[in-house]
Amino acid sequence: MSATRFEQMLVTGARCITNGEVLFVGFHWPMLMARIARRLHAPNIVVVYENGIVEDRLTPTFPTSPCDLVAAEGAPVCAGSLDALYMWLGSGRVQMTLLEAPIIDRYGNVNTTAVGPYARPKVRLPGSGGGTELSSLGRNLTLVNASSSKRSYPERVDYITSPGYLGGAQERSRLGYKPGTGPSTLVNPLGLCKFDEQGEMYLAALHADISPEEAKASFGWPIKIKDGYEVLAAPTADELKVIREELAHARERYYLLPEE
Amino acid sequence: MSTGEKPILSMKEAVRRFAPDGQELLIGGFAFSDPTALAHELIRQQRKSLFIMKTSGGVLVDQLVGAGCVTRVLSCHVWNSVGPVPAHCFRRALEQGKPHAIEIEELSYGAFTTALAAGACDLPFMPTTPVQGAGHFTQRTFLRDKFAVVENPFGGGPVCVVPPLKPALGFFHVHRADQYGNAQLFGPTGEMRFAMAACRKLVVIAEELVDTEVIRQHPEASVAPGFMVDAVVVEPWAAHPTDSYGYYYRDLAHHALYGEMSRTEEGFRRYIDEWVLATGDHAGFIRKLGEERTAELEARHKRYW
Repeated sequence: MSATRFEQMLVTGARCITNGEVLFVGFHWPMLMARIARRLHAPNIVVVYENGIVEDRLTPTFPTSPCDLVAAEGAPVCAGSLDALYMWLGSGRVQMTLLEAPIIDRYGNVNTTAVGPYARPKVRLPGSGGGTELSSLGRNLTLVNASSSKRSYPERVDYITSPGYLGGAQERSRLGYKPGTGPSTLVNPLGLCKFDEQGEMYLAALHADISPEEAKASFGWPIKIKDGYEVLAAPTADELKVIREELAHARERYYLLPEE
Repeated sequence: MSTGEKPILSMKEAVRRFAPDGQELLIGGFAFSDPTALAHELIRQQRKSLFIMKTSGGVLVDQLVGAGCVTRVLSCHVWNSVGPVPAHCFRRALEQGKPHAIEIEELSYGAFTTALAAGACDLPFMPTTPVQGAGHFTQRTFLRDKFAVVENPFGGGPVCVVPPLKPALGFFHVHRADQYGNAQLFGPTGEMRFAMAACRKLVVIAEELVDTEVIRQHPEASVAPGFMVDAVVVEPWAAHPTDSYGYYYRDLAHHALYGEMSRTEEGFRRYIDEWVLATGDHAGFIRKLGEERTAELEARHKRYW
């Protein structure tokens, strides 16, 4: 059976992870991507979570969130949020930052707070958690959006929970954000987006079965596509096997999967 | 705040003495060690107009909001993290004003942590995550001064700062405490140490009361010295359905049950009737959960302490 778009997204995200690096991993699909990467090509990554847990090997049980303390079983370090967010992330000791971005705009700003007016939202969402820190302080910030619906890619988000390049790259640096921070990549079911010098998102690579027209139609603004964009290789049999095992595991752990 | 023996109170008595209507109250826990037993007792005693501060609100804040106990919330996240599924009561309150409107103020987790650290250390302010241009920076509901930007006095541009946060009262779940209030929490601690020290009054809710000689075996796990603590509540399983490191795991099925029932106002009321009011107290709640279930959730690996 060939890979679903969601499975392709998980593979593409996992392939972005470099073995041996220190990763700050946010809630939800980023946790699954890190787990898949650890089982495939990146057994020596060290994952840190906002509550202060360091995870340096595959936990027998997939945590439902970073605060599901099966994540802490056999951990080499259980510290706190000041350690995780500032001593590790803010100080630049983390080499890759993985954050879910369910609604993201042209400049990589992420909304996980409210759709519509803040005081009486149309849809109220969870809020920041540590998501603001991941995007404000994280290096090699890789965002994950499991949706390819236009509603998930407005030209401008209603509320900036996790700042991307705000109104453009100059604005971010003028306001005092550290150099080397800001979104680097977006992984979604269509492929990979990158950000240009102005901080604007563009399509850089597509999954094999996605046409440029289809990809462009998912965005709420006329998104640019790189000349000679890369076509991403389909998941290998090994990759698919690991992903499907982990998805079955996730389902047992009460995860709601996109196909369901 | 004093030395010596501390009152050991039942949850009923602690809520009666410390948390009247209108109380400003920081509740500890970050989606683990959430003292659900406290929220249930606040609901049983029909508290109104509470100002709840909680970093990760979770199911606990959702229940307080749904039960109409809360008018103000300061948080960085409110959701049911299993699934994940929405915190339905929180959504209904903000989207539709049901059962009544609430005021929400938000900080990022890092900003919340640093504001509590400033409060704990009695510092005038503290540098924090740059959030200029983000929603929490511009959107201010009742904490008008939650962020400011100052020029770095040592050179190097603008710095985002937070004021000290000093909640009037804190209730925290811990693993064990002694009669002097020395309180221990093993495993990850999130912002808990700063949060406890920031509170002007502090009540700890311990899974077990132990002798001071037991506390002395692992002084590194003490998160609050007894002199910071005003009272101790002993309440096994107080953090269910969230996890208590080394004691019990997160109850996924119960999170899912609550998520399903709380989809509608009617279902939520049924949950509160069945699981909170009819059970009478937390021991009754745990009896309803059943021995078979608690045995499954109990952490079976050997603890290092």
